[in-house]
Amino acid sequence: MTPSPAPERSGARTTLQKLLSRFHFGVTLLAVALSGITILLAGITTLRGYADRNMELAAQVAAYGVEPALVFNDPQAAREGLQPLTRIPGIARLRVLDDKGRLLTEWVSPHGDAMPMLTGFFFPRPFATTVQRNGSVIGTIEVWGDSSTLTHYVRLGLLAGLACLLITAIGTVILARRFEYELVKPLGEIATVAHDVRLHRRFDKRVQGLGIAELDRLGGDINALLDELQGWQGHMESEKALLAHRASHDPLTALPNRAAFDEALAARLAAGAARFALLFIDADNFKAVNDGFGHAAGDAVLVALSQRIKALLHPGDFAARIGGDEFVMIVDPAGHDAQPDSLAERLRAAIADPITLPGGDSYRLSVSIGVAVHPADGTDPTALLTAADAAMYADKLGKLSK
Amino acid sequence: MLIPLLLIGSSMTAPQLAMQAAAQTVVDDSPGGMALAVNRMLGGIVTYATWPNEAPGAPRTMCVIGTPRLTERPAPDLPGRGSVSVRRISAAAAIGGAGCHMLYLGQMPVADRQRLIGWVHGKAILTVTDDDSNCNLGAMFCLNAQGQRLSFSVNLDSIGRGSVRVDPRVLKIGSDGGPR
Repeated sequence: MTPSPAPERSGARTTLQKLLSRFHFGVTLLAVALSGITILLAGITTLRGYADRNMELAAQVAAYGVEPALVFNDPQAAREGLQPLTRIPGIARLRVLDDKGRLLTEWVSPHGDAMPMLTGFFFPRPFATTVQRNGSVIGTIEVWGDSSTLTHYVRLGLLAGLACLLITAIGTVILARRFEYELVKPLGEIATVAHDVRLHRRFDKRVQGLGIAELDRLGGDINALLDELQGWQGHMESEKALLAHRASHDPLTALPNRAAFDEALAARLAAGAARFALLFIDADNFKAVNDGFGHAAGDAVLVALSQRIKALLHPGDFAARIGGDEFVMIVDPAGHDAQPDSLAERLRAAIADPITLPGGDSYRLSVSIGVAVHPADGTDPTALLTAADAAMYADKLGKLSK
Repeated sequence: MLIPLLLIGSSMTAPQLAMQAAAQTVVDDSPGGMALAVNRMLGGIVTYATWPNEAPGAPRTMCVIGTPRLTERPAPDLPGRGSVSVRRISAAAAIGGAGCHMLYLGQMPVADRQRLIGWVHGKAILTVTDDDSNCNLGAMFCLNAQGQRLSFSVNLDSIGRGSVRVDPRVLKIGSDGGPR
C-alpha cells in the first residue's frame, strides 16, 4: 500500500511519525514531571511533618529522661538520659541546658551530615522544649533534625522518577507507532489514490471508508473531485471522438473520407492481410443528375448510393467516399463467398434499383466498378488504387463503346 | 520511624555501664557553695518522693537529728512550688511522734541511728544521711562529698522497706555504679 515516494516528497522534511512521537513525548514528559514533582513535594512535606513530630517526641522523651539529672545538676545522668535517643535515626544533635542557659550535656551524631545545606533548609532551627519540675522551668532540651531520611527519600524519588521517565519514553514510542498506524495508514491510502489518479489517470479510483471522521470528510471531498474529473475526462473523450469522426468522415454520406481510407488501407497492408479486393466505384454521368434535377437531387443520389454500398458490407469490410462521386470498398472476398468480379456484379445490381428523388421523380443510377486484388494487382496502396482506377475506367469505356 | 521512640520508655530502666560514682554535682567554689549544693540535692530528693495519702506539693517537714557534716543548716531547696520546713530535734523526740516526713541523720551515736532506722521501717518517712559514704547503714539516701563534688547514693533495700515512693529515675541515678 505504500506509495513509492515521489521526488518532491523526499528531503529533510519531518515525517508524521516523528512529529507525533515528539508531541507524545513532550506531553507525557510534562505529565510525568508534574506528577513526579507533586508526589515528591507531597512526600517531602509529609516526611517533614513526621520528622517534626519525631523531633518533638524525641524532645519530650529527652525531657523526661534528663529531668532528674537537671534537678540534681548531674551531667553524667543527663548523658545517660539522652542515651536511648542516640539510637534513633533522624536526630543530628541533642543539647541539654539548665535553667540558667548553661550547657549541661550535648550529644552529636557520629554519622555526620551528608548534606548540610539540605539539613539547613529543612531544619533551620532546632526543636526546643522546656523541662519543668513542680511548675517551674528547670532546663531546656534542643533537638536538631537530620536530613538523611529526607535525602534518602529524595534520592529514591528521583531514581523512581528516572525509571518512570524511561518507561514513559518506551511507552511513547510504542504509542506513537500505534497512533501512526491508525492515522498514517488512512492518509497513505488517500495519497495512494491521488498518486494513481495523477500518474496513471485512474479516474475510476475512489478513497474507501477510513473510519476517522475528518479523514472520511477529506476522502469524500477527494471522491467528489474525482467524480468531477471523471465527468470532464469522459466529456473530453467524447468531444475528441466526435472531432476525430468529423475529421475522417464525409458529412453528407457519413462514410469515411479519403484520409480515413488511406489510413485504413495502409493499416490493412501493414497488418499483413493476405488477400483482399479493392473496388473502385464511380457514378456514371453524375453531372447529368445535378444539371437535370438540381444539387439536392444529386445529394440524395449520393446518399442512396452510399447506403446501398453500406448494406453490402460485412464485418471487417471498409467503404469510403473519396471524391465527389467516387467510392471505394475494401472487401475480403472469402467473407462473401464470391469472386471479386461477381461481388462487383452484386453491387451493380443493388445500385441499379431506382432511387426516389426529393421532387418525387425516380432515377436509375449506373456505376462503373474497377476491382484490384491484393497481392495479385499490387502490394502497396498506390499500385492497388491505380489498378482499381484503371479497371474502373476500362469498365466505363467498355459501356460507352457499346 | 516512630516505633523506636515507643521503646525508649522500656529502655530507660536498662542497666548502664557507667563506672562513675552515683549522681554527682559540681559544687561552686564560693563560700556556702556546698550548702547550696546539699540543699538543692535535698530539694530534688523531696520532689521525686511521693508520700502516700498526701497531696503532691503539700508542705513537708524535715527533721534534722545529730550533727550534719556537710552543712550546718540543711534546708531543702525545692524547684518550683512547695516548701519544706526544717526542725532540729533529738532522736527520742523523733520517735516520740514529731510528724516528720523526712529525717536528716547527721553524726550521732550508733545506737541512736540503729533505733531510728528500725523505727522508720514500714513508715512513710524518708531517711537521708551525710555520714555513711558506703550507704550500707540503713539510710535511704546517702550524701557524700569528695573534694568539690557532691554525690548521692540510694539504698534500695531501705527504700523497699519504707512506704514512701521514690521516682525510679532518681533510684537509677543514685544506684548507677555507686557504692552499695
